[in-house]
Amino acid sequence: MDQLELLKKDWKKQESTLPKLSKEELSKLMYRKSSSIVKWIFIISVLEFVIPNLIILITGSKSTEQIYEDLGLSNFMTIFLIVSYLIIFGFILLFYKNYRSISANANPKVLMQNIIKTRRTVKYYIWFNLAALAIVSIVVLNRTFDSNEFLEKIPEGTNMLVIWLISLLLVAVAVAILWLFYRLIYGIFLNRLKRNYNELISNGID
Amino acid sequence: MTKELEHKFVVDLEKNQNIVHKVCRIYTNNQDAHNDLFQEISIQLWKAYPKFRGEAKFSTWMYRVALNTAITLYRKSKRAVKTQDFDSVLYKIESSVYDDTEEEQLKILYKTIHHLSDIEKALVFLYLEDKNYKEIAETMGITEVNARVKMSRVKNKLKEILNP
Repeated sequence: MDQLELLKKDWKKQESTLPKLSKEELSKLMYRKSSSIVKWIFIISVLEFVIPNLIILITGSKSTEQIYEDLGLSNFMTIFLIVSYLIIFGFILLFYKNYRSISANANPKVLMQNIIKTRRTVKYYIWFNLAALAIVSIVVLNRTFDSNEFLEKIPEGTNMLVIWLISLLLVAVAVAILWLFYRLIYGIFLNRLKRNYNELISNGID
Repeated sequence: MTKELEHKFVVDLEKNQNIVHKVCRIYTNNQDAHNDLFQEISIQLWKAYPKFRGEAKFSTWMYRVALNTAITLYRKSKRAVKTQDFDSVLYKIESSVYDDTEEEQLKILYKTIHHLSDIEKALVFLYLEDKNYKEIAETMGITEVNARVKMSRVKNKLKEILNP
């Protein structure tokens, strides 16, 4: 007999050996804690929204406002913050819409697509955050290095190019560390999903 | 209302629980992991149940949610990952019914299935459940042609491992 047919025959025979749970046991199961990946994706995404904003709130004290004013950046920072919050609000709407579309009722392909789409939105949000961090840093550095206060403090004949290079390097390191941190979180949750998704959609003629 | 829905769900689940158990048998290789996955699928079924409008048969819908959970939503617990005890597939085989060679062959077959990828396991499962290509395509969300190609690949892979 064909081996796969043998397997199929055995599979059918096994029906009788399957466990049988009572209605009471089943209703207990329904309310147990889920270890679903979606729950974790949701928790992490919320943290990704909350933590950067929390940092801004904590560090954005009166003294930093004073610093911006001294540097003549008040207007820039106000416009920058308004634009940022508008963009963040747009992201939250998008994110919520995507999250709602994740449902086990869809077939595996659509379900995986929806999760990947949700993560992509969050990824764009992260890129936005990293870009904002870099832009603000560079603008603030530029003004600081131009201010009299700063120029008075440094020894004469200091090469500004060196100062710029070191500062930019520090900004790049900060951005890179944040980026690596996000990559790590992605890796943990999305590797298996992406592998399965690619396997499912590949047409097999490759 | 909720109580009513809950009661209806438990009745449906009890009647069709075999489907969930069978998905667990394909995706896990010991009793603890089986119970873990069974619990997660039950939770996901209950969560999705209010949206189930009877557009498909309850059992068809169940195949979809159960496979979704096993392939995508379920995060294996450490316990389940650590216990890579492939000999424990034995617990699935009712001995004494078969002669030695058949039993040996089945043992190897089940062992091989446990080494397949998540997607391949789903295909083998649907094959064993006697689903036709149209149903397989619908359940997985792929085209019928794709389902055909993938299925013949998995079958060939299994045969190759069994007859080197």
